[in-house]
Amino acid sequence: MARKALLISPELCIGCRGCQTACKSWNRLPATKTVNKGSAENPPDLTPNLYNKIRYVEMPSNSNTVRWLFVSQRCMHCDDAGCIKICPAPGALFKTKEGAVGFDKDKCIGCKLCVAGCPFDVPRYDEKDKVSKCHLCSDRIAEGLMPACAKTCPTGAIAYGDRDAIIGKAQKAGYQKLYGQTDLGGLGIMYAFKDTPKVYGMDESPAIPETIVFWHKVLKPLAYWGLGGAAAVSLLHYLVIGPKKDEGGE
Amino acid sequence: MTIIRKASAFEILNHWVLAASFFILAISGFGFLFHLEQLNAVFGSFNVMKDVHNYAGLVFTASLILTIFHYLPVSLKFGADDIAWFLKGGGYLSKKAKVPPQDELNAGQKLYYIVILLSGLAIAASGFAVWLRPQVPDIRKLVVLSHLVHNIAFDLMIIAVPLHIYLATLANPGTLRIMITGTVPLEWAKKRHAKWVQRIGY
Amino acid sequence: MTNHWIDFKNADVILVMGANPAENHPVSMKWIMKAREKGAKLIVVDPRFTRTAAKADIYAQMRSGTDIAFLGGMINYILSNNLYFKDYVVNYTNASFLVNPDFKGPGELNGVFSGYDDKARKYDKKTWSYQMDERGIAKKDPALQDPNCAFQLLKKHYSRYTLDKVSSITGTPKEKLIEVYKTYASTGKPNRAGTELYAMGWTQHTVGTQNIRAMSIIQLLLGNMGVAGGGINALRGASNVQGSTDHGLLFHILPGYLPVPSAAVVDLKTYIEKFTPKAKDPKSVNWWGNRPKYITSYLKAIYGDNATTENDFGYSYLPKLDEGMNCSWLMLFDRMFKGKFEGFFVWGQNPACSSGNAGKVRKALSKLKWMVNVTLFDDETGSFWRGPDADPKKIQTEVFQLPVTTIAEKEGSVTNSGRLAQWRYRVIEPIGESKPDSEIINELYFRIKRLYQKQGGKFPEPIMNLTWNYGEKDASGKVRKVNTHDVAKEINGYYLEDLKVGKKGHLCTNFVTLQADGTTSCGNWIYSGSYTEKDDKVVNMMARRGKKDIGGLGLYPEWAWAWPLNRKIIYNRASVDLNGNPWDPKRAVIKWNPNKPDPKTKKTAPGWDGDVPDGPAPPMADEKAGKYPFIMRADGMGAIFGPGLADGPFPEHYEPLECPLSENPMSKKQRINPTIKLFYTKEGGLPEDVFLSGDTRYPYVATTYRVTEHWQTGVLTRHLPWQLEMMPQQFVEISKELAAEKGIENGSKVIVSSARGKVWAIAWVTDRFKPFKVMNTTVHQVGLPWCYGWQHPEDGSGGDSSNLLTPTIGDANTMIPESKAFMVNVEKA
Repeated sequence: MARKALLISPELCIGCRGCQTACKSWNRLPATKTVNKGSAENPPDLTPNLYNKIRYVEMPSNSNTVRWLFVSQRCMHCDDAGCIKICPAPGALFKTKEGAVGFDKDKCIGCKLCVAGCPFDVPRYDEKDKVSKCHLCSDRIAEGLMPACAKTCPTGAIAYGDRDAIIGKAQKAGYQKLYGQTDLGGLGIMYAFKDTPKVYGMDESPAIPETIVFWHKVLKPLAYWGLGGAAAVSLLHYLVIGPKKDEGGE
Repeated sequence: MTIIRKASAFEILNHWVLAASFFILAISGFGFLFHLEQLNAVFGSFNVMKDVHNYAGLVFTASLILTIFHYLPVSLKFGADDIAWFLKGGGYLSKKAKVPPQDELNAGQKLYYIVILLSGLAIAASGFAVWLRPQVPDIRKLVVLSHLVHNIAFDLMIIAVPLHIYLATLANPGTLRIMITGTVPLEWAKKRHAKWVQRIGY
Repeated sequence: MTNHWIDFKNADVILVMGANPAENHPVSMKWIMKAREKGAKLIVVDPRFTRTAAKADIYAQMRSGTDIAFLGGMINYILSNNLYFKDYVVNYTNASFLVNPDFKGPGELNGVFSGYDDKARKYDKKTWSYQMDERGIAKKDPALQDPNCAFQLLKKHYSRYTLDKVSSITGTPKEKLIEVYKTYASTGKPNRAGTELYAMGWTQHTVGTQNIRAMSIIQLLLGNMGVAGGGINALRGASNVQGSTDHGLLFHILPGYLPVPSAAVVDLKTYIEKFTPKAKDPKSVNWWGNRPKYITSYLKAIYGDNATTENDFGYSYLPKLDEGMNCSWLMLFDRMFKGKFEGFFVWGQNPACSSGNAGKVRKALSKLKWMVNVTLFDDETGSFWRGPDADPKKIQTEVFQLPVTTIAEKEGSVTNSGRLAQWRYRVIEPIGESKPDSEIINELYFRIKRLYQKQGGKFPEPIMNLTWNYGEKDASGKVRKVNTHDVAKEINGYYLEDLKVGKKGHLCTNFVTLQADGTTSCGNWIYSGSYTEKDDKVVNMMARRGKKDIGGLGLYPEWAWAWPLNRKIIYNRASVDLNGNPWDPKRAVIKWNPNKPDPKTKKTAPGWDGDVPDGPAPPMADEKAGKYPFIMRADGMGAIFGPGLADGPFPEHYEPLECPLSENPMSKKQRINPTIKLFYTKEGGLPEDVFLSGDTRYPYVATTYRVTEHWQTGVLTRHLPWQLEMMPQQFVEISKELAAEKGIENGSKVIVSSARGKVWAIAWVTDRFKPFKVMNTTVHQVGLPWCYGWQHPEDGSGGDSSNLLTPTIGDANTMIPESKAFMVNVEKA
């Protein structure tokens, strides 16, 4: 099956947060009691019950009164997903056939290593210590529906479709390269940025922490090669040189 | 045949506690590393396995600390004997090789102690960091670092421990009984720990 | 709306002024963004940098309440740079009409037009008239040169709105004004279209109607009325505001915009004479000339067989206003406050939060004997007696709460801002004891009727003679369950006799077939054709869901049904030249087709292609049968000169009731609109109605608004934890400059107060507000939403309505309260 993806266009986003509510509605996520801290951005950060949030970026502008950007923030559904890579529990985090990073709370062991493995600081843990995050409405897309956020978005700022087709469309619209097009093997959530990613609150070149890559490539294989090697050396020694004999030691 | 005591009851008990917890940790650790779902037959589920791993870690750490303090006085004293022992490759490199007389612990044993001390402390500390997630400014960094340390230490141990087992069993017949009865034949001891035997008055 | 939501995509320039679609009409942004994708420019003029402004190509900041100055400057710019669409202006507007030479403007008369009576605060409009020829038709100068022609008067009037003057009033930098004017005026070419979107930001002012008038003038000058991507578009604040207004929500109109008679209009004949305009010009369609058909059919619809020629079709049953009586919102609550009402039905609203000067409303409610609150959730109105300043022991009002269903629990039509009536279905049965509004009305009707039957009473006829054929009746004659389809059919109308146009008992085809002799019934003539018969089959046109489009303009004629006659763009005859060819062929709304084949006979029957035209008449160039485009106006012309309004034929800038200036920069003698009803005068008034303008105690301009996350007063959304999570508490947006001056930190609690009340709010210190340079002084403006109330969240954490601050004052024509510009103070809490 073709890999599915979302294209997020902050240029089109009006910050209405229909997506934030639609997400909660579909995923039956309860609200939290918040307070107004001087910004429209609320809750201030992703929570186990907030998979998708609009980040409001207000910055000075030379040509205008102010610059006000709205950016959807959520799981990026990396192809090379740090969370899946580091996750010790089989099936707790997984790739769906559409390319979404799904999760299974029953299989999650609550170790929170995925939090460290994620280059975007996305996974959150619920009160039962189970992983919780955007899963690209994997239950919906498996049935051929679009994710709740994309369905609700009035302006097309969240567009859903085949990843290749989306990239093609964006290129036609003048976006040479999308954010996330190639990072981490290609993200499932791509952004059409008109400015540097930093302006939108995004990492310029997101990557899985190097040590995790090192672990994955070196330390992990070393564990069984090491064990096997030690056993093999022992065996070899036993066969070639043999045990220390007590007789004749006088 | 004169039998002399090489290990106390405490040492034996502690050794097996440490060994047992290590095996549990290592097996479950392998399970986590390589998603060995076959282990569900043993643990039931990865959730249970995680709890077992965590609490076994607690036992391991306690046992490790006792071990460290117990052998500290003898293990960190390196001298000419140790150098000689090393130069001879511990006598393992050929059938005929002879090592000079050793004290209570030979250099190899001391080295093993150091490896276990360092990797054990590292694996325990990093394990607790991942488990307990202390309040620090950047927990993600700490977890990433701990994850690295935990795995390096694990790799060290997973190499060292099989060698230790081999050397304590097949390679040196008669050694294992120390960790069972706590005693060895005097003759056996003289060959391996001549200085110690001498020091304790035989 | 003259146009419709989807039509925004056809515009070249979209001016959003007095509205905030991104936050209050998010779906409309879909079409605005589509227009932008094709290269359209979005201009946002607003005191505050809104979420809409964040998407704008040009954003201009303007002090609240100075829209007419801003737009007056644009008119001046268009005229002095000859950017108007001459053919359109000459042929389709009254610009060429010669006005009474005695007419004088505010430039000559110290801020007022000729005919002002300052005691009555009213105009004698004698001089606001045209010079007539012997046939009774207005004299014209198609060259637009006569000094008394509307065009020259317009030019003279707005020549006073120079860039410097406008900038000093609005606080908008001159360069910004020019940028906006230039961009918008670029739509004065035949192949360019500009649209304007407004909402409460324009209506909730003492000059609200004139704000819209000013824009109408601009749209006529630029030839933007009737064209795709043009028009003046009111973004309605609720899904069915349009529908409820169409059906007689306001005190002065019956369904279908038929005037409510006053007591002096004694019989139907007088009514018809008084309210049926006459046109002498044969080229004028003068659609309101059909008024007799509509009022008679309306009476037949509501009184049925009890409406006969003998009893004047039951005209006497219609409620009448006293002469000069105004029953608008502010007046009703003023009367209530003065103890002149016994009971009050609050239906689908929350006046204790939504009303201008809500504090007065809360007190007024306590003067009632009883109140019925028909609502989904308890609210500040239903619980007013236990509110923040209320003493339940002293309040005698008995409150009944009637739970009503949500939209998902009832069936019926909803008419959106684009006049599109769409049928909705019931999804679930009503929950608990809640009932649909129609069932509550049904109960009420039969209970009242029974009381009249049992006890008699004064003038029972209007109730006893009502038709009520909305479903199967029980033994007592009561309708068991209201069938919404029967209501919709009654609105559409029936043929009551066998007529040429249709057979007795059948549904009317449309309002063209209505009769003035009582042989047809129609509950609301503009909806005639919405539930009709085609090939002897009954069709609910509003339930149609066809997706075919015409010409890529997004007209979708087979999707639901728009009044009138499924016309998507009204005044569309103005979108073509005199020969019936579209001004812009790429945006052809309609086009005259001399070779159009008749679908039945296949013979050539010249007619219009495209949208449903404003009448079948041939193009205007046709000497005999051609018609003017603005068919709802007696003279058939778009009104450059508009004598119909209370406050002047040309919009003039007046300051809001409360403003930071001591005088009006346009005319020193007349600070505020001279024709608004003052509740508090020099002679005094209720302390609740007090206002303080130019007062150092309340030095900051304030405005109110909605947020996307809450709906209206928030009764529906504050009970939704998801919405509350995003917008939990009352806030006030203030500039960094003002915050620094007052030592206010972002996120801290402040008190916002006016002459009438105060609320707490969390300060949002932001660049979205900036101080204005107004008449060489610095003016600060703040803004706060009105979606919070003390009753929910129950812990009071939300705060209270910003309408506790707003004044008791309304627009001169509509009496819509001025809640978009008033004066406050902000202090650290």
